[in-house]
Amino acid sequence: MEKKPFLKPRTVSAVKDFVCVLPALVFLAIFTYYPICKLIQISFTDWNLLNDRWSYVGLKNWIWLFNGSGTKHLLNSLKVTILYSIGELTITLVGGLIFALIFNRMNAAFSFMRAVVFVPKYVAMSSAAVVFLWILNTDNGILNYFITSLGLPAVDWLGNRNTALLSVLLLTGWRAVGYGMMIYLSAMIGISKDYYEAAALDGATAVQRFWKITIPMLSPTTLFLFVTTFISSMKVFQSVDILTRGGPYRSTEVFVYKIYLYAMEDFRMDRASVIAIAFFVLLLAITASTFKISNSSVHYDS
Amino acid sequence: MSGTNANSHLERELAAKRKKKIVKTVQYTLAIIVTLIVMFPLYWMLSSSVKSQEEILLLKPTLWPKEIHLENYANVFNRINFGKYYYNTIVMTAGILISQIITGVFAAYGFSKGKFKGQNLCFMIVLGALMIPIQVTFIPIYIMCANWGLSDTFLGLILPECISPYYIFMLRQTFMAIDDSYIDAAKVDGLGRVGVITKILTPMCKSTLFTTTLVTFTNGWNSYFWPKIIAKNEQRRVLTVGLAQLKNTFAGQATMNNHEIMAGAVMAIFPVVILFFVFQKYMLTGYSKAAMK
Repeated sequence: MEKKPFLKPRTVSAVKDFVCVLPALVFLAIFTYYPICKLIQISFTDWNLLNDRWSYVGLKNWIWLFNGSGTKHLLNSLKVTILYSIGELTITLVGGLIFALIFNRMNAAFSFMRAVVFVPKYVAMSSAAVVFLWILNTDNGILNYFITSLGLPAVDWLGNRNTALLSVLLLTGWRAVGYGMMIYLSAMIGISKDYYEAAALDGATAVQRFWKITIPMLSPTTLFLFVTTFISSMKVFQSVDILTRGGPYRSTEVFVYKIYLYAMEDFRMDRASVIAIAFFVLLLAITASTFKISNSSVHYDS
Repeated sequence: MSGTNANSHLERELAAKRKKKIVKTVQYTLAIIVTLIVMFPLYWMLSSSVKSQEEILLLKPTLWPKEIHLENYANVFNRINFGKYYYNTIVMTAGILISQIITGVFAAYGFSKGKFKGQNLCFMIVLGALMIPIQVTFIPIYIMCANWGLSDTFLGLILPECISPYYIFMLRQTFMAIDDSYIDAAKVDGLGRVGVITKILTPMCKSTLFTTTLVTFTNGWNSYFWPKIIAKNEQRRVLTVGLAQLKNTFAGQATMNNHEIMAGAVMAIFPVVILFFVFQKYMLTGYSKAAMK
């Protein structure tokens, strides 16, 4: 006689399928979602790692951030981060597109040159940063050597508040531009030749073809690069940490660096938490608004 | 009449050819200049790394090293625990890779070929995690790990990185593209879930698996933010963090020892750059696949 199974086979199968995804869910609960909740809790306390105990202080940290001595730091970080993001977006999108046009020729020599332009993306930021520290060095750096040999005064690249952020961008841009180029190139190859031939028959010049065909056809790629670069540039930390440590005069004190300073150097978990939450809300708002743009203004080739 | 026509036709063709040649020359020139500029920091890293101390301190920098000083490389190991950092980076990267692959493959299977109540909701939980970076959540994670005694340990370095929503998402998309009939046939042949994953899905998606894993490898090897927070002490310091601190180990005299710092920088990027040139084709598709979604 056949034994009657305790559970229906279909239920067993569903449970087994669920078990496959369970580790990921448990992990994300512990290391992603729980910390967000915890962060909100900390923001209502006076938690300082140097003290043994902490207590709830209500909205004190929030008032500090939005209507107190923290406000100017928040606004400064907001300004610096946005400026930095604009810089990195310009380099990745505009620079990437220009590079894609320059390197758009399919032979062995160009393939090699493309590889060289793309490889900085894989060079660890810390290695790249120490090289840029060396190149940008005020007294012995080779960049200042070139500048002074042209008869111009030496520039204190990292020590001057007007050039520090630019120097950070020089480093991140060096790593990002080849990536932008490669993404644009692979999209350009996908554009059908028919469009260009038809346009050429109609007498369109190369410039017209670029603006009327290439640019619109690349808009999904541009959007992808825009969204991913924007979000990742908001999270900039490492280049700032190694090149300038937020200075001089807070001119490179981006959001993540500010959070890091409060948490890991001042041990003010309370203040670090409120800024972290503000930063998180900003990231969500940017993501949401870029998706809105994507639905209205991107041209998809059907 | 027809003669002049043929002439002007020929002239036009010649003009077009000349124009094409000019475009080609300009393009080659620009490409070579741009390549040289982009390559310069890497060249400078390499050439400084073999110069003597007197040579890097010359007021007029030498483009090509006068003598080759390979002992700079050995000196890096004497000055700091470079070998230790290398070892730490390798173990951390391997740990992250293995755990991300195993958890990623199983979760991707569950989300693409599995069937259970609340599947969509669970997948939204994974996608939502993509929007919560560790730069936001590191404070509670750090407190948690420190309470568990994970500061300056491999587990502390690996644990917060051991599942990647990005990896799960990419693999799920690839698994979705595989027809269910393969899996049904395998099940009829008596393969369980593990068998289906290891014998059917993984081999069929080799290239995506490989490219995504390459991206994971370079991200792990180059990671900086979390290792800097959780492994502050010498014991479990990784290469990226150790290198950044190399400039501080000479007490404000970084310039004096830039030849050795550059030697360290070269050694730190060596494995990834080699991988890049070997698997160049895959390196790009790893990213551009994400771009297509």
